[in-house]
Amino acid sequence: MKYLLLAVVVVTLALPPLLPEKQLAVYILLGLAATVTAGVSLLMGYAGQVSLGQAAFYAIGAYAAGLLSVHGVPSLIGLLLAPVIAAVAAVLLGAPLLRLRGHHLAFATLAVQLILLSLLGQGTWAGGAIGLQGIPRLSGLKDDIGYAYVVWAVLAIVLLISRNVVASRAGRALRAAATSETAAAASGVPVGGYRLAVFALSAAFAGLAGGVYAFYLGYLAPGSFPVLLSIEFVVMAVVGGLGTIAGPVVGAAVIVLLVQFLNELGTQPGMPSYAPSVLSYAVYALLLIVAVRYMPKGIVPTARRLASRSSRAAASPSAELLEERA
Amino acid sequence: MTLVDVSSLTVRYSGATALDGVSLSLDKSEMVALIGANGAGKSTLVKALSGLVKADAGRVTVDGRLAQVPEGREVFADLSVDDNLRLGGWRNGRRGRDTSAIYDLLPALGPLRRRDAGTLSGGQQQMVAIGRALMARPDVLVIDELSLGLAPLVVQSLVDHLRTLHRERGLALLLIEQNARLALSLCSRAYVMEAGRIVLVGDAAVLASDERVTAAYLGGHYE
Amino acid sequence: MSDFLGYVLTGLGIGAGFALVGSGLVAIYRVTGVVNFAQGAFAVIAAMLTSSLLTAGLPHVLSESLAVVVAAVVGVLVGVVAIGKPGTDPGTSLIVTLGLGVFAYAVEIVLWGDQPRSFPGLSGVATIGGARIQAHYLLIIAVTVPVFAALALFFTRTDLGKALSACASNKYAARVVGIDVRRMGLLAFALGGALGGLAGVLTTPVQQVTFDSDVTLIVNGFAAAVLGGLTRPAVALAGGLLLGVTQTLIAGYGGGAYQLEVALLLMLTVMIVQAARTGPVREAAR
Ligand SMILES: Nc1ncnc2c1ncn2[C@@H]1O[C@H](COP(=O)(O)OP(=O)(O)OP(=O)(O)O)[C@@H](O)[C@H]1O
Ligand SMILES: [Mg+2]
Repeated sequence: MKYLLLAVVVVTLALPPLLPEKQLAVYILLGLAATVTAGVSLLMGYAGQVSLGQAAFYAIGAYAAGLLSVHGVPSLIGLLLAPVIAAVAAVLLGAPLLRLRGHHLAFATLAVQLILLSLLGQGTWAGGAIGLQGIPRLSGLKDDIGYAYVVWAVLAIVLLISRNVVASRAGRALRAAATSETAAAASGVPVGGYRLAVFALSAAFAGLAGGVYAFYLGYLAPGSFPVLLSIEFVVMAVVGGLGTIAGPVVGAAVIVLLVQFLNELGTQPGMPSYAPSVLSYAVYALLLIVAVRYMPKGIVPTARRLASRSSRAAASPSAELLEERA
Repeated sequence: MTLVDVSSLTVRYSGATALDGVSLSLDKSEMVALIGANGAGKSTLVKALSGLVKADAGRVTVDGRLAQVPEGREVFADLSVDDNLRLGGWRNGRRGRDTSAIYDLLPALGPLRRRDAGTLSGGQQQMVAIGRALMARPDVLVIDELSLGLAPLVVQSLVDHLRTLHRERGLALLLIEQNARLALSLCSRAYVMEAGRIVLVGDAAVLASDERVTAAYLGGHYE
Repeated sequence: MSDFLGYVLTGLGIGAGFALVGSGLVAIYRVTGVVNFAQGAFAVIAAMLTSSLLTAGLPHVLSESLAVVVAAVVGVLVGVVAIGKPGTDPGTSLIVTLGLGVFAYAVEIVLWGDQPRSFPGLSGVATIGGARIQAHYLLIIAVTVPVFAALALFFTRTDLGKALSACASNKYAARVVGIDVRRMGLLAFALGGALGGLAGVLTTPVQQVTFDSDVTLIVNGFAAAVLGGLTRPAVALAGGLLLGVTQTLIAGYGGGAYQLEVALLLMLTVMIVQAARTGPVREAAR
């Protein structure tokens, strides 16, 4: 387990300078997607709630960072404020919305995103439908390799935070609450508060990723944050494995790379112009359905179970602990 | 002629064994009681008879039509009494859904026919559940807790009706009843269940005087 | 004043579309406990198909009817995937229908491309009480009202409708009396498909569809239905009409850009008030 982690760290750190420009962009977007998905995974796995509006917080972070820096705030401060602003928005929205459960919350989060998109599309302060242009690059970062490392660091921080949350008292309490909310509440666990905290944390993850995205692209438009993007994050979280630490990374990697591959395939000469979008929709859909149907725990827990079955030795205390956390 | 034949039936709920090799049979027009303590597995057996739980081992064969009054009534709370009854005849096709005979049998239901079943008292709901089961025109009626929540007079009249149905239409009955005395007096044969197994079977009159039965189920100490 | 009447009538027409989508959601949710996220796709598929059939020279009414039937069949297919496997819980089914909704995008783009489509409806302008409105809005209302009446009769007067209600009321008891709950679930999906399809074919002449129009449709349909706790078709009708009228009034009196926001805020408010009244909204009974 440790060696695998070490290998992943070494390889991902070594990769950026070796990648051609186009692949570097994939690397960066994959890292950002994994960062957002880490929050979705926490939210779904620990607070037991489906959010169909996570891209809203991604957008809030991106626009916050973009607007601040366009108005002359140093880019680093903009980047640091992006997750804070997203989290504050989540607390304000979550206070009323988190009374809702299940499909009500799913639709409520979707509604929030639609409202945000519409406001952004109409707000001249945000560049309207045309978008926000001329966002400076992060100070000191001239090339994309630098962004790749920023994304790496951001993802690492987010995963470390996730790990600590999962192992914390609040994490355990939330897991208990996911099974029986009444019982957890009866035993004095402040379920509501924890739930709001996870919601805010997941929004902060998305906001941070959004901030990086804004500086990386230098341009934002409402169209960059469609509802489908929120659904994609859910797909990544479910496919990778909810509530696991590695799940979001695996889910994002599998899907981003697969979609990338299909994109290449779809843009081959002779393919109809709609091929790339059709292929990616089909892949999202089928992966999601197959995952909830046949691998409801997601790739990471399933793979772990298979691995520990094939080699009894893998049932070492640490593996067991992880399994339990999953 | 055997209507219901259960042989070596085993049912497990996610690990816990509720029925452990149960065998039981019911002949045409036979009235049989099934008694046992709470958690013995009686309701599980009823569910297995209607295919509502799967057998993990063993076999259930039912020759003829079986209807049941499930434990806890389970009426359609937001449908009217009449609709509850009609749906009891669901398997019988359109013509099998005439409810008037049930109101003759259970006159107390007549004035309630338009009420939502969920608004009735517990005993009234039990009558709906029984009427609904009879709508299926069963060859075998399985009743899981007949007297649950019913006034003694109502129980008595239901018992009389069951006797009549038995006599006139040859209805077979599998009766689960906490009031073992009632069950044993109505039925000709009885099974006693404990912890998922049949521990005693025999003539109801004989069992009614069996020490083990009187001690455990008839409050024998106080007689 | 005549402006006002015009807005209201137009709003009723638009709202009838929401009501149809919403009642499709209700039909499925009552029986299966599943909030069908692919509900908007039924409308899109039926609308696209109608435009193809009309282009191929089939007459109106026949084209629309065929499309509604196809939508019902698609409904059954969605149902098979969503609830086909016994023991699937509604939460899982919601995610599955979400996936199916995205899958529908792929199919729709292959079959009909990614450009908006429309087809002519009832042409002409009607004048009612001094208000001039597109006649097609009146057609939408004229079709929707009897459909809802028929729906009410179906659920309360026919044995099949009662059996569907029985599944909604007590699944276990339904199995006890021998109702095939899964089959009823699929029937509900067929009904939901047909209602969604009807919404699509009725509203497309006044509101063109794109493959991803389903998001707006489902959100508005959900907003219409949530007022009645997703279980009462009559409330879905009232909710849909209210929503439609509110939106056109806002658009008519100058807030055009904000009509979706208002609808969404309305829905959020309703849900939050409901949750506050009943405690945390509980998941559907299994
Ligand atoms: N759905 C279930 N899941 C798990 N265990 C169950 C379930 N239903 C019943 N059991 C267990 O199976 C055993 C038999 O239960 P059953 O309901 O058949 O008993 P019973 O004889 O009908 O009891 P009672 O007289 O209290 O109604 C009990 O130990 C019970 O705890
Ligand atoms: Mg019982």
